[in-house]
Amino acid sequence: MTLSEVLGPPVQRGQVIADLAPDRSPSAAPRLIQLPTAEVDAPRRRLQSLRAGPQRLLGVALLITVWEIASLAGWIRPQDLAAPTSVVSMGAHLLANGTLETALWASLQRVFWGLAVGVPLGAVLAVVAGLSRTGENLIDGNVQMLRFVPIIGLSSLFVLWLGVGETAKISMVAMGVMFPIYINTYAAIRSIDPRYEELADVVGLGRWGRVRRIVLPAALPGFLVGLRMAMAVAWLLLVFAEQINASSGLGYLIVQAQTYFQSNVIVVCLACYAILGLLTDVLVRTLERLFLRWQPGR
Amino acid sequence: MTVTSVSAAATIATDQAVLVRGLRRSFGSREVLRGIDLEIRREEFVALLGRSGSGKSTILRALAGLDKGATGEVFVPRQRSVVYQDPRLLPWARVLSNVVLGLEGEDATSRGRLALDEVGLRAHEDDWPKTLSGGEAQRVSIARALVREPDLLLLDEPFGALDALTRIRMHKLVVRLHKRHHPAVLFVTHDVDEAILLADRVLVLTDGRLSLDLPVQIDGPRLRSDPAFAELRARLLAELGVDELSEGAGPGRGHLHFANPIDVPDSEQEIVT
Ligand SMILES: Nc1ncnc2c1ncn2[C@@H]1O[C@H](COP(=O)(O)OP(=O)(O)OP(=O)(O)O)[C@@H](O)[C@H]1O
Ligand SMILES: [Mg+2]
Repeated sequence: MTLSEVLGPPVQRGQVIADLAPDRSPSAAPRLIQLPTAEVDAPRRRLQSLRAGPQRLLGVALLITVWEIASLAGWIRPQDLAAPTSVVSMGAHLLANGTLETALWASLQRVFWGLAVGVPLGAVLAVVAGLSRTGENLIDGNVQMLRFVPIIGLSSLFVLWLGVGETAKISMVAMGVMFPIYINTYAAIRSIDPRYEELADVVGLGRWGRVRRIVLPAALPGFLVGLRMAMAVAWLLLVFAEQINASSGLGYLIVQAQTYFQSNVIVVCLACYAILGLLTDVLVRTLERLFLRWQPGR
Repeated sequence: MTVTSVSAAATIATDQAVLVRGLRRSFGSREVLRGIDLEIRREEFVALLGRSGSGKSTILRALAGLDKGATGEVFVPRQRSVVYQDPRLLPWARVLSNVVLGLEGEDATSRGRLALDEVGLRAHEDDWPKTLSGGEAQRVSIARALVREPDLLLLDEPFGALDALTRIRMHKLVVRLHKRHHPAVLFVTHDVDEAILLADRVLVLTDGRLSLDLPVQIDGPRLRSDPAFAELRARLLAELGVDELSEGAGPGRGHLHFANPIDVPDSEQEIVT
């Protein structure tokens, strides 16, 4: 088939292409559709939002039930994955004898100190690099290069330098946290509308005024995105660090359990991580709601 | 270019707010301003017309002290304010904070409230800028300019993005504010009617030079139906290279056409919002 067969004869200038246009005679009135408005939509949406919570829980419950049944039926061996009931009773037991609290507390402290060092460090570096050419030249190249070095690969160096104590673990968390904070905050500062710079000139804002009234507020959304990523990275690195060398913490508990084939203890620890991750996410969301009220749709 | 405060130049007459001599500006090989001479008296309202791309904003930026690349002599008052076509409000600061941005002193807040009062937006002082309508946001930016009590107010197509009805309200507002605060005003626009309605004097920028400088002499309220208004419009349009009749749109050029007397002088008449 040739092209002209497909396309038909070429259209002449001024020719009316009647059969290409749909029938637009006045008798063919368009059918009207009702668009969703508040009244029309409200009952359905209320129902949806009412259902959302229970449905989510139901989903989780369903998974756990299947898991329990599979365990009871012997499809899953207990040494591979303990049944949910066994996990819960082990969790209760670990809580009762204080093992879980001690481990949690040790891990929480490490994450806290890692964040306490890494977050301000990343933020300050980003602000300095974002504000001055010199700062940018000195800092940004290094960070952009280092961010491609896997942090986990650096752990051996940290152990060489800092031994196996707390400092090595905290440093690793701090290091890992710094990058997402830096990269997102720096990008936010870089993308500030240059017209605000001119506005600052016109209203006579000084250097500190610019930082406080323009740069920092404009950087905040990026910083909070970085913070959320940082929280995830922090837990990830911590588990890793604790599994390599530690005598306390959730990661240590996991390694111990592994040695004694206690899959229920491992699952308890993993559940703890999941809960902590959720909690930190809620924390960042709350911060976002608090600080980004000016954004439409919040 | 040197932007100098008036006080620094003893040679300048005391009733002058702006003195520009031989202002030139090139971008690459293109010379946009080829020797601008401009004087604006204190309290004078001057409109600057010109085609798109003729360099109006470039002049205004030079007077604002924002252009470091122009050459020539520029004398302006220390207190200057700029209103842009976009309101340029900081989205993360509430309306009142935007108005008093960069102001110092403990009375800043109360002065900011007064300025918001004047533009009829006192009730919105705690709003976020993104929740304002276009006209409201522009009024906030006018309040931000006013609160600095400028001796020179620079307006760069401030109502270009507003609808015809809002523009009429804004014109009244600007006239009223000018009567009350009497700054010298340089009002950049491409709307000939707007220029005639508001200004004491209209300048036209053509090919990098001020090619026309006309006083607006219309007694009483400025009505578009006034023959003097029509004559002035015809002259300005001709200077801008637009033949009014052949454009076919007639007076108002496609804008909503209202008899629009500027009749709100010193009275404390409220702009209905
Ligand atoms: N920063 C810049 N770099 C390069 N060229 C520029 C710059 N600023 C302005 N120009 C050029 O100078 C000319 C005048 O620009 P200007 O913004 O002053 O025009 P204008 O009269 O304000 O136009 P409009 O009515 O469209 O706002 C334009 O051709 C523009 O491209
Ligand atoms: Mg312009």
